[in-house]
Amino acid sequence: MEQNTAAQQAAAPVALQFTGAAGEYFRIWIVNLCLSVLTLGIYSAWAKVRRKRYFYGCTLLEGASFEYLGNPVAILKGRVIVVLAFAAYALLKEVHFLIGIALFFAVAAGLPWVIQRALQFNARNSTHRNVRFGFRGTKMDVFAVLLIGALLVPITLGLGYPFYLAMKRRIFVDNSTYGNQKFSFSATTGDYYLAALKLSFAFFGFLLGSLVTFGIGLLPFYLLLRAYAETSFARLSWRNTQLGSIRFDCGWTTGGLFGLYFLNTLGIILSFGLLVPWAAIRTARYKLERITLESADGLGGFLAAAQDSVGAVGDEAGELLGFDFGL
Amino acid sequence: MSAILARYFDGKSSDARQVSLELDAQGMLRVRGDGIEFSCPVAAVRVSERIGSSRRHLTFPDGSQCETGDNDGVDRMFAAQEPAAARLLHRWESGPRYALAAVAITIAAAAAAIFWGIPALAKQVAFALPASTEKLLGSDALAALDRFIFTPSRLPPERQEALHKLHAAMLAELAAGRGGGSGYRLELRAGGRAGANAFALPAGIIIMTDELVALSKDDQELEAVLAHEIGHLRQRHILRHVLQDSVTVLLIAVTLGDLTSLTTLAATAPTALLQAKFSRDFEREADDYALGHLARRGISPEVFAAILQRMEDKRPGGENAGKDAPDFLSSHPGTRERIARARGAR
Repeated sequence: MEQNTAAQQAAAPVALQFTGAAGEYFRIWIVNLCLSVLTLGIYSAWAKVRRKRYFYGCTLLEGASFEYLGNPVAILKGRVIVVLAFAAYALLKEVHFLIGIALFFAVAAGLPWVIQRALQFNARNSTHRNVRFGFRGTKMDVFAVLLIGALLVPITLGLGYPFYLAMKRRIFVDNSTYGNQKFSFSATTGDYYLAALKLSFAFFGFLLGSLVTFGIGLLPFYLLLRAYAETSFARLSWRNTQLGSIRFDCGWTTGGLFGLYFLNTLGIILSFGLLVPWAAIRTARYKLERITLESADGLGGFLAAAQDSVGAVGDEAGELLGFDFGL
Repeated sequence: MSAILARYFDGKSSDARQVSLELDAQGMLRVRGDGIEFSCPVAAVRVSERIGSSRRHLTFPDGSQCETGDNDGVDRMFAAQEPAAARLLHRWESGPRYALAAVAITIAAAAAAIFWGIPALAKQVAFALPASTEKLLGSDALAALDRFIFTPSRLPPERQEALHKLHAAMLAELAAGRGGGSGYRLELRAGGRAGANAFALPAGIIIMTDELVALSKDDQELEAVLAHEIGHLRQRHILRHVLQDSVTVLLIAVTLGDLTSLTTLAATAPTALLQAKFSRDFEREADDYALGHLARRGISPEVFAAILQRMEDKRPGGENAGKDAPDFLSSHPGTRERIARARGAR
């Protein structure tokens, strides 16, 4: 009898918890913004780390928070490189359009490397219970996804888009790790096509709604469409994601997300942007607190199994080589 | 000193253990509880900074970690090793009144940077760069315009020669007076869609259209327009425009880049408005140059006002016409104001 209750408790889904507060985050946000402007953008790397540390530190799973370890100097280095590349492009494309095109291709060729580095940087600098996340995808993995996105999707006039989405998510999830445990992804390309088919009906609803209301309903209907799209793809991907014996679930609803976005947009516009932090906190709370984890063995059982964690004790190489581009 | 309650993670598994942390008089930190018992010098512990009420992490020399929500307790225990900047930052983030001050400073600083700092910086940089930089920028601009907008001038050869002579005389005066202006050249074209107009291109090229020549009553009016375009060239306006635009977009993107995509999108709208403001400032500078030139030559500023007025009347739809022309060509906002300024210069 007693054991039975214990097993039931172990199997009960556990939701993430978010403790961030709008007033508190507003003050962090405005100080970040102020220092970024005063230093002509240099401080923005530190601002980013501070923001991420706040959100990670306010996200709890079974009472333990997440931690972000990104080094602001590494982020600043990445940003300086992006700014220099942008400036070079802005000036040189005026010299001759062929130089502009050549530069465009040079940047495109470097993109898989940049994205892979950014994903790795982000994952390695995220920890939970002093155990690091990781990303093991290679440049070629990223290159394949980009190639499908840039070539197959236009050639098939968008019909390949769900295939691309499924592939992108699979490569991301399958290569993600927590400690020595691998994440795995089980959604099929067919699942994505089904979701996309439903989404295309929703899109016609959006067009019709916007037309019937003579464009007045454009923004609300757009937010509704976006809420529907995000909900359906987020549910699809979370419900098909597994970490060891842990399964995830996502309880977002179209109506809930729509109400959230509608109020957020209204608040941001009416406050001339001052309610951006309030919107960010509301969004994080809604989205995070509706992600649940469930394991037949109970979460504790699993978490203990993630032993001998890969570089939980300072994997400095990742930090040294990886700079982040905020992708 | 009272103890801190925390959860201990060894970094090898995700197991959590309840511990308490206590600081003794010798500066040793004792960690105790649930099968854990060790101590280390308090100075060897890495403490994460305090950000709002989010959890703090204490990392020990062996890589193991404690997590706690007792922020005040951590501040007390590690007061000696907390950097002054971190404490200041947290103080600033804690008071509602400080937050209001931050809002005011942010708005003032952003406005100062965008309206004054960046244009001043762009001016410095543009004048510091050799003139060949600008030539590089515009080397294929004329060819592109010839392909898409202009056709060869249909003015009689002797008229064309007279205009070139006028231009050359102005350059000679410029060289004799304040110097510079070498390499500037005049190109005459049939205007096509651009109509009665004159443009300055970065490579020192001034384009004047047949339609403008036809619209003018005498060569003094054309001289005024040429002086305006020479003003653009001398002030390095095109290079400054490119520099200002890129830096402004970059600054906005870098500072707001961390926000949601919604606001990043909204950030592009002000840039478009700023562009209009920048080009108005440049027009004013070029007008001042033209009016100065007319004054030196003893020509009435009314001449400049007259040709501006006629160009404005000719333009279908008034000030918003010519929208399909490239960005740096649609350059004459606020004509009425400019005419008034010219008349006021008398």
